[in-house]
Amino acid sequence: MSNFLQVLIDGILSGLLYALVAAGLSMIWGVMDVINFAHGEFLMVAMYICYWLGFIFKVDPLFTWVAAGIFLFILGAVTYKWIIRRSLGKAAMAPLLATFGLSMFLKNLCMNRFSPNFRLLSGTLLDGKTFEIGGAIVSVPQFVTGIFSLVVVVALYWLVKRTRLGWAIQATAMDKEAAELMGIDTEKIFLLVFGLGGACVGVAGGLMTTYLAVHPEVGGLFSLIAFVVVALGGFGSIPGAFAAAILIGLVESFTGFYVAAVLKYVAVFAIYLVVILVRPKGLFGW
Amino acid sequence: MKLSKRTAIVVMLVLCTALFASAAAFAAEEIKVGALFPLTGPAAVSGQNCVNSVLAAADVINTKNPDIKAPLAAGEGLVGGKYVIKIVPADHQGKPDVAKSEAERLYNQEKVFAVIGCYNSSATKPASAVAERAKKIFLCGCSSSAALTERGYKYFFRHAPTDAIESVEFVDYIAYLNKEKNAGIKTLGVIYENTEFGKHAADEARKAAKRADLEIVADVPFNNGATNLNSEVQKLKSANPDAVFGAALGGDYSLWVRTMKQVNWLPKIAINYCTGYQNPAVQKELGSDGNFFMGGMGYSPELAKKFMPEAIKIQDKYYTPRSKQPFDSDSIQEAVMLMVLAQAIEKAGGPDTEKVAKIIQTDEFPSVMSLSGKVKFSSDGQNAEALSVITQLHEQKYQTVFPLKYKDSEPTLPMTPWDKR
Repeated sequence: MSNFLQVLIDGILSGLLYALVAAGLSMIWGVMDVINFAHGEFLMVAMYICYWLGFIFKVDPLFTWVAAGIFLFILGAVTYKWIIRRSLGKAAMAPLLATFGLSMFLKNLCMNRFSPNFRLLSGTLLDGKTFEIGGAIVSVPQFVTGIFSLVVVVALYWLVKRTRLGWAIQATAMDKEAAELMGIDTEKIFLLVFGLGGACVGVAGGLMTTYLAVHPEVGGLFSLIAFVVVALGGFGSIPGAFAAAILIGLVESFTGFYVAAVLKYVAVFAIYLVVILVRPKGLFGW
Repeated sequence: MKLSKRTAIVVMLVLCTALFASAAAFAAEEIKVGALFPLTGPAAVSGQNCVNSVLAAADVINTKNPDIKAPLAAGEGLVGGKYVIKIVPADHQGKPDVAKSEAERLYNQEKVFAVIGCYNSSATKPASAVAERAKKIFLCGCSSSAALTERGYKYFFRHAPTDAIESVEFVDYIAYLNKEKNAGIKTLGVIYENTEFGKHAADEARKAAKRADLEIVADVPFNNGATNLNSEVQKLKSANPDAVFGAALGGDYSLWVRTMKQVNWLPKIAINYCTGYQNPAVQKELGSDGNFFMGGMGYSPELAKKFMPEAIKIQDKYYTPRSKQPFDSDSIQEAVMLMVLAQAIEKAGGPDTEKVAKIIQTDEFPSVMSLSGKVKFSSDGQNAEALSVITQLHEQKYQTVFPLKYKDSEPTLPMTPWDKR
């Protein structure tokens, strides 16, 4: 029972982390129909920001995630302004290839500046802290990340569903031209969505620094899983992405423990394939 | 006498031409050697250390180093200064297919005389196959998969002790601890990356455990570069083996250690193959969390002070300025292989592949950067003098605990629990 509970908790916590990483991607993909290939590298940049703030100024990632969120909002907005906007309306693959180029640039820049060394913040406020639930050990850093994930996802959902800005975002996602005829500045909406997408992954990266090592390749698998989460949940559906992330976390955890650890990602991608074949718009997609 | 402008220009041109001609006449010929390592990807830290190590060895060979008492260090270049070594670095990203194509590029386009590489056994395998087909020399420092020297290759030479040798040493140590320290180690868990290196290490661990009557209660392969190792460590924890053998490189090693801390579990003893354990940069990041883990090593600064003083000189003069850290057990072996190649070229009188390969196959080479002090290859290309010791980490220091000949500290056994550190 203790093992089952431990695996269940691990799965939910991993899922919550994936939800936080995928939330921003879901917005960008859903609203703009643009795949941000540099999403994983945005995550890496956020982790480096919090690592260096922690290493040089001794400020805990529990506080510096705000800085990472703000910086990544700006990076997202700048990416839209300088790269995405110029590639939209050209060849269908242009935005995708442009963000791929950006991802390579960011990764190699960090490789060059910071070397490929794994950097881990030791002695953070949450470092090594755990508590028990029914014999299962819960890692406090992962638990806090999970709480943040819930808050961010609920806040994003509220923003999209309950505010005028959110309605404008939804209108832009449904029909850009019609939204413009209604007086919505779709350029501003796109800029904001890209910024918000960056900010979400910035918060995720910042919090991850409390328990994961940062290195130039850290974003690779996270971004791949984020793509799966978004496609599985349904493009543009924030609750869908959240549910898909939890599902993926659980599948990964239970397969890893009860079947074989090496098969955990196989199971994740197999579920994704089945869902996409049976329901191409994803679990909650419109 | 006043020279006209035109005469002055002509004189200068003649002088310049003469100067370049004489420089060319005295310039040593370059022997290119490829250094094929993972310079990007999950094992990039170790790969860059390996390249820096090979570059350090090239500096020892190419420049006069009267302060270093090592073969070829006193002179300048090879064969009386006729040749110098030029290192051509290449990146295989930790991918076997890239390693193969990069090896082809190095031999065919860069025209390298030999290649040193590849750190990852999975990359060394296809890259050395390219060399064997082309009848070119391939030198391997630290890839430890035993399968590499079981292929009957004639141009492949490896310095490192294999996983088979290390596995036997690990279980010998456990037997010693059970007998002398009443350690009560009866069960074993194996955690390893699902690659050529990890799978072979696990195979050898199983064989050695069977020989020593250790029951394997957990066998946990994992995908390298994973986002978490929660279920893997949970498997180990639920089986609760007395000892764990680990084969996890770089970031995976630190993730493994941190996850064990997170679930508040440790075996009595954890011994690592050629892994992140040996990398001082990884240990620096882990800080005190890395304490009390063990691993097989052929080099540590502590060991070198006693048994390899000349290696320390090379490290301080040529390696640390590049890598900002001391040699580690993996990277130094790549330097040894370049020194062996250079000695063979020196004896052959030049870069003649057949002659040089024959010399490497038959001769014994003094080596100030090897724990045994010498290198001698058996007919399968494996260094018969390969030696490794078991160390335990205490506050960033690798203390030697086995074999008894090299032992400088008593082990902390069982490992101090996380909540009592």
